[in-house]
Amino acid sequence: MPKFLVLYKWTLDEQDIKIKSDDLSLDASRAKGKISDFDRNAIEEAARIVEAKGGSVDVLTYGSAAVKQSLKDVLSRGADKAYWIADASAETADAVVTAKVLAAAIRKIGPYDVILTGEGSSDQFNQQTAPRVAALLGLPCLSLVHKLDVEAGTVSVTRKLAVCTEQATVSGPVVVSVLSDINKPRIPGLKQVLGAAKKPNEEIALGSLGVSPADLQPKAVRRSAKGFVMTRKNVVFKDANPADSVAKLVSSLVSEGLF
Amino acid sequence: MTGIFLFSEDPVLAKQLLTPALALKGALDQPITALALDGATAADLAALGADTVLLLQSASGWVEGLGDAVTDLVRAATVVLVGGTQRGKHLAAHVAAKLDAGLTTDAKSLAIEDGKLVTSRILYAGLAVGVEELAFPAVATIPPRSYPTPEAAQTPGSVETVAVTDDIRVTVTGTTPTESSGVDISLANKLVSVGRGFRSKDDLPLAEGLAAKLKGEVSCTRGIAEDEHWLPIERYIGISGQTVKPDLYLAVGLSGQVQHMVGARESKIIVAINSDERAPIFEAADYGIVGDLYAVLPLLTAAITS
Repeated sequence: MPKFLVLYKWTLDEQDIKIKSDDLSLDASRAKGKISDFDRNAIEEAARIVEAKGGSVDVLTYGSAAVKQSLKDVLSRGADKAYWIADASAETADAVVTAKVLAAAIRKIGPYDVILTGEGSSDQFNQQTAPRVAALLGLPCLSLVHKLDVEAGTVSVTRKLAVCTEQATVSGPVVVSVLSDINKPRIPGLKQVLGAAKKPNEEIALGSLGVSPADLQPKAVRRSAKGFVMTRKNVVFKDANPADSVAKLVSSLVSEGLF
Repeated sequence: MTGIFLFSEDPVLAKQLLTPALALKGALDQPITALALDGATAADLAALGADTVLLLQSASGWVEGLGDAVTDLVRAATVVLVGGTQRGKHLAAHVAAKLDAGLTTDAKSLAIEDGKLVTSRILYAGLAVGVEELAFPAVATIPPRSYPTPEAAQTPGSVETVAVTDDIRVTVTGTTPTESSGVDISLANKLVSVGRGFRSKDDLPLAEGLAAKLKGEVSCTRGIAEDEHWLPIERYIGISGQTVKPDLYLAVGLSGQVQHMVGARESKIIVAINSDERAPIFEAADYGIVGDLYAVLPLLTAAITS
């Protein structure tokens, strides 16, 4: 019976982030939180395997105080138990800090047979967490997986890369990152949402993990984040007769020198 | 010993990495050490400006399993540049973890300022550009085609062979090359890009007919390639797909989510056809038609013929 741990990130929904026109700074004041898109695939994959073959799915997240908002959502998606680390250090954490904190927490709550996460987070898309956590824990890592089988302690995957697909196997514990096309995450129904309230969650105090203050200092420090502005002509044709719009478009493209 | 180290398993990308590495050499006054997996690439890198090339003798050649071996070889590094392929990004993250170093994924720019590596990269799927500074040792992955291959160096570097240990815990049991239609959409001058406004795969000839008239190619969103499997993945554009810069990008029945547009926003002219007047694609477009693509595309195709 495999024991899964899924690492997930509670991110801002990038669709809600606005760019301020005066200084191009980002306004996230109206942005809601969400479970990072690809991490939902990781939760779904673990839940499906456990539902079919038995086992358990724990989830673990590290973030600011806001991560508490994620618990009901993540537990309604098929997880059995949620562990969470809420600390202000997450506000400035880079991939170095995040991996150290997650690895320390896994040493405390583990071991697990399969540690899963999404291919990258929807905000930063650093794609570093899986290989970093594996390196720190001394585990092998299989990234970019779009087919996952767990059978009697052997993990078999198909990885999908731009140049090829690759089959690989590992015996024993492994860290896996999944692609978004591995499954379609469920949309929790009322029953799952109500059931989530009864499932356990446990806060892990960062101070209990033996992570030093120096370890919480990022090696990559954000200097600035500015909105990317695309200046376009924004000429829109919406004539009742589409032929009129098409004629105007073609004449515009001719004047642009495209034909 | 300190230095600038570079690696890519892709020979073309490895040579491109020498261009930013030579710029860093100028700024830091430190030698360049390149790591290579085959003798021909090693010789090329030595001829193009690497002071030393380490030719790794890997039995498996599985790049992702070389993390510990590469870490040992680059332990003295100030900056490590890794080619931003999928395998390269995996390797770079492992090496950065072992070096306790920061890593910029898909760096768009690199500079040395005040004893730090300053990089820029895309955030929030393309909504924003972030600048970060990394303490040394610093690691960055560089996307393909970011830099040209440098001119041959006046004094070629030396090549040394190094035995390395693979990650024997992972067994690669099979590799199937991705079937390619031989079409590289990043080279097309005109693209007709398909989104979920198309109701069925059977309707794709509408886009193909227009692309043929334009002497261009058909591209698509991630959903069309990854979820619907209507078109091969090599044709999808976006943050995790292709980046294109055609003269004309004709977005048909796609909403223009930032994750998609980040791959197309350097197009010269962007045209949108969408039935939803409020779709974000119109803000990202030079010209747009609000209308049903099933009515508009045949008219547009006919108009271009005449």
